[in-house]
Amino acid sequence: MTAEAGTAPSTPTGSLLTGSIPDPDVLVRARGITKRFGGLTAVNDVDFDIPRGSIVSLIGPNGAGKTTFFNMITGYYVPTDGEISFDGAAIVTRRGKRIRSKKPHEVTQLGIGRTFQNIRLFGTMSALDNVRVGSHVHLRSRWWDSIIRTPRMLNEEAASIEASMELLRLVDLEDRAETWARNLPYGDQRRLEIARALATRPKLLLLDEPTAGMNISETRQLTDFIRRLRAEHGLTILLIEHDMRVVMGISDRVTVLDYGEVIAEGAPDEVRANPRVIEAYLGRGPATAS
Amino acid sequence: MDQLIQTLIIGLANGLIFALVALGYTLVYGIIELINFAHGDVFMLGSMLAFGLIAIISSGGLGVFSITSGTPVLVMGGQIALTLLICMVAMAVLNVSIERVAYRPLRHAPKLAPLISAIGMSFVLQNVGLIFGGAYQRTIDNIFPNTNLLEPLGITSIAITPAQVFVAVVTIPLLLILTWFVDRTRQGRAMRATAQDPDTAGLMGVDVNRTIALTFAIGGALAGAAGVVQILYNNYTVWNLGFRFGLNSFTAAVLGGIGNLRGAVLGALVIGEVNALSDYYLSPNWTQAIVFGVLIAILVFKPTGLLGQQLADRA
Amino acid sequence: MSTATSSIGTGPGAWLGYVGSNAAALPGRYATALRRRPGRTIGLTLVVLAVAVYPVLGHYVLADFSRTVFPLPFPDDTVATFMTIFAIMAIGLNIVAGFAGLLDLGYVAFYAIGAYCAAFLASPHFGALGINLTFMGHVGPGAAGIHLPYWLIAIIAVIVVATFGALLGAPTLRLRGDYLAIVTLGFGEIVPLYFKNLSSVTFSLNLGPINIALQNVNWTGGVQGINPIDPPFLPFFGLVFDARSGPLAVYLGLFLLMIAIVVALNLEHSRIGRAWGAIREDETAAEMMGVNTVRTKLLAFALGASFAGVAGSFQASYLGASTSDFFDFSISILVLIMVILGGIGNVWGAVLGAFALTYVDKTLLPYIGQRIGDVAPTLPNPAEYNFLIFGIILVVMMRFRPQGFLPSRQREAELSVAGLAEAEAGLGLPAALENVEIAPPGQDEVSADARTPETPGEAREL
Repeated sequence: MTAEAGTAPSTPTGSLLTGSIPDPDVLVRARGITKRFGGLTAVNDVDFDIPRGSIVSLIGPNGAGKTTFFNMITGYYVPTDGEISFDGAAIVTRRGKRIRSKKPHEVTQLGIGRTFQNIRLFGTMSALDNVRVGSHVHLRSRWWDSIIRTPRMLNEEAASIEASMELLRLVDLEDRAETWARNLPYGDQRRLEIARALATRPKLLLLDEPTAGMNISETRQLTDFIRRLRAEHGLTILLIEHDMRVVMGISDRVTVLDYGEVIAEGAPDEVRANPRVIEAYLGRGPATAS
Repeated sequence: MDQLIQTLIIGLANGLIFALVALGYTLVYGIIELINFAHGDVFMLGSMLAFGLIAIISSGGLGVFSITSGTPVLVMGGQIALTLLICMVAMAVLNVSIERVAYRPLRHAPKLAPLISAIGMSFVLQNVGLIFGGAYQRTIDNIFPNTNLLEPLGITSIAITPAQVFVAVVTIPLLLILTWFVDRTRQGRAMRATAQDPDTAGLMGVDVNRTIALTFAIGGALAGAAGVVQILYNNYTVWNLGFRFGLNSFTAAVLGGIGNLRGAVLGALVIGEVNALSDYYLSPNWTQAIVFGVLIAILVFKPTGLLGQQLADRA
Repeated sequence: MSTATSSIGTGPGAWLGYVGSNAAALPGRYATALRRRPGRTIGLTLVVLAVAVYPVLGHYVLADFSRTVFPLPFPDDTVATFMTIFAIMAIGLNIVAGFAGLLDLGYVAFYAIGAYCAAFLASPHFGALGINLTFMGHVGPGAAGIHLPYWLIAIIAVIVVATFGALLGAPTLRLRGDYLAIVTLGFGEIVPLYFKNLSSVTFSLNLGPINIALQNVNWTGGVQGINPIDPPFLPFFGLVFDARSGPLAVYLGLFLLMIAIVVALNLEHSRIGRAWGAIREDETAAEMMGVNTVRTKLLAFALGASFAGVAGSFQASYLGASTSDFFDFSISILVLIMVILGGIGNVWGAVLGAFALTYVDKTLLPYIGQRIGDVAPTLPNPAEYNFLIFGIILVVMMRFRPQGFLPSRQREAELSVAGLAEAEAGLGLPAALENVEIAPPGQDEVSADARTPETPGEAREL
């Protein structure tokens, strides 16, 4: 199960490790990220870089802080401390003691799209409309355009329908375009969420446990799809995953969180054999050979 | 200066009445996160019932107790006690019935449905008050002697009347009993547990429906008591009394931190003062706007109120 | 959601071309509809014709016939005009509450502001302050006060009310649903109170070059209000659309209503309409997908409010007077009942609800009261206890049919009992009508922008 990453055209060739990625290849740079909720420290002083064009996985036991970290990159949570920059633009900055973060919709505008661990589609809207909401941030029509139906608005609407149908075709849902999201089967819903995230035209795609609840063949299809997203669409992808086959299969680099701290980072095979990682997942006690 | 103190004393008396009603709002919000729009109108109906019991027939009452300033004190005391009992029980029953009819079926509906239902209920109650009480204020003559209890102390520029003492005598023990009940008894603990997390409370053996009904009963009883005090202290009632009192009491509850009992009382006293000061120094025309202004300001700037919420975040 | 799928050009010429081609296609589309669904098409056609013809018919013919030929009274001109006024308001509130899911209990404030716009700008009122300005007004030269034509007043009312809506919404729209409702209720009380109380303003300001001294200025007319207010009028034909004009005012109302319907439908089927739907379904997910929820909700609030502004200005001009007593909380609730009853989220439902409820409140109940009064004078008059009936309607509707009678399909799915069950059967979808709250208490003040609930539990939610 070797990674085929090395053969994809857009994979970075330099170092993939946080802190040693050559500057032009850095898409996300996060330093000293900490998140405290009252007495609980969910994320503790995490440094995290994502190389452009890579597929990076973030793994760790439940409650390790992975989704919290996602939420901070996307602006949903404001970190207690730290700084994050994305493609040169600041998302989280520190001014003295105050931390300022861009709002989620601003982060989306910068080019980060995401899916959710528990699917959050707009249930009573059609699959097509769900995807079209994703394109909201890139449409230029204003409310007055909508009221009087200016040519700009009409052209934009037509174009957005076409573009959204393209995305539905990409995830193999075009014949379900008019079905309400909540009436779709589970696997379709997962793919629809990805299509919606793609509609935001992201440079970085955050996928939160995308294969949860899928069987082996669905998982393999999705894994291939993620590879194609990187290869054909030039996306950088950050994955939270529990399915180790997926993680080992497509990641260029794996970062492991435990209790909110990075305990290991490196190529999939290295991380897999790391005793600290094994301990984090399986607990201390009689050693289990990998 | 004396006028200021006098105004503050008046504000205190009304504040205590607000406190009884505010507790109803805060208890119900604490346990089911519903703004019980109709609560002020339960208070109004309590005062209508009290009016009917107390007022002499020529004033329009039912002539049950017919208390006047001439009634001997012992008899008066007994009759007032009975009135309190009747009104508290009646309003408790009413409140529980309202919960059963208008809110319980909507417990799993989207959040705003029970609120809208509460608004509808409020209108129904107001109209009941309109039908039974008529369109105009119903008044009784003051039954307490109009003396200044501070006179024997040599103070004549500020007055504390027996009526005001009466307010304190009725409200303060009720507030203390309530606090004891919620803090010390098993049922009170059940109420607090249900307020924190109804599902877990249910799993721990708490009968959630009964606990909620109990909460409404207590709120109703307090509103009933407040209604009696209203008639005996302010001497009037009217079908839309509930709106004004409801606004003041709800603002008080929010000011103190909704869900927080001590906060509700504290907030009520503050709002009572705000009312008195605004009535005297500005004009009663503006008082309602000012109280609303306070409410909006709290919700926008410090929604947890003065003493902080005591709810779990269940959104 | 079909729109023209081929690209049209840009610029006003292209727009006119688009409108023109759509208009030209109408007969064809009507014929197709007739062929495909004859029953429905004919039914709708009859309804439209009835509405178009009613004002004239009702005024000249039916008044004589009602009560003798039909068991129920027909609405007279005033009631018919108010039906259109309330329908415009219901459409506006439907945008706020139905499309965007924000409960506004103080809608009457916008209605009042619209009415007073007309009162200020088309009456002798400000003549007392020495402000005289007539521009295409209805009155002769040298008239006291400000006199502008109604169409201009309507536009100004839209702008003024929308601005107030934005000001009101800016600090408050981030509150959770029930708190937002209470705050809007507050504004709905405060604004009319201002109009009622500012009848004698004494104010002086001496700050450098600014020197204002007002002595006992009657700003808003106080309790008596402001009158007379100029009616809407059509100069060339000499038509006046006031309370005495019979069916003319009803037609003007219908005209304004038509514009309101088109605007609302256009908003619904557009980028912002989708954004409103997304926010209503799952505000957090909408924000994460790039929707600026703050701004979008504000737009719903302000745009929805502007409908009330038009309605208010029309009402004041139609009646020729504006009194502050008219604007109270019960009107906010009345319009809300119209939206809920008619069908939440559906523009036509709102119109239907408004027509029905105005008729019941202003014609049917008084009629029943009269009949009862004839027979048994001691029984209560239902017209006086109309809110008892409306209150019961609200409680019953919430219990059994919260989505109303003609809800939009989305809201039906969200709110009906069957819809809720279906939602729960679906996978991991949150129930509708939950709004993101401000930071709950007891958390660390997480620096500048603590805007969302932040608990460890939430971390696992997303």
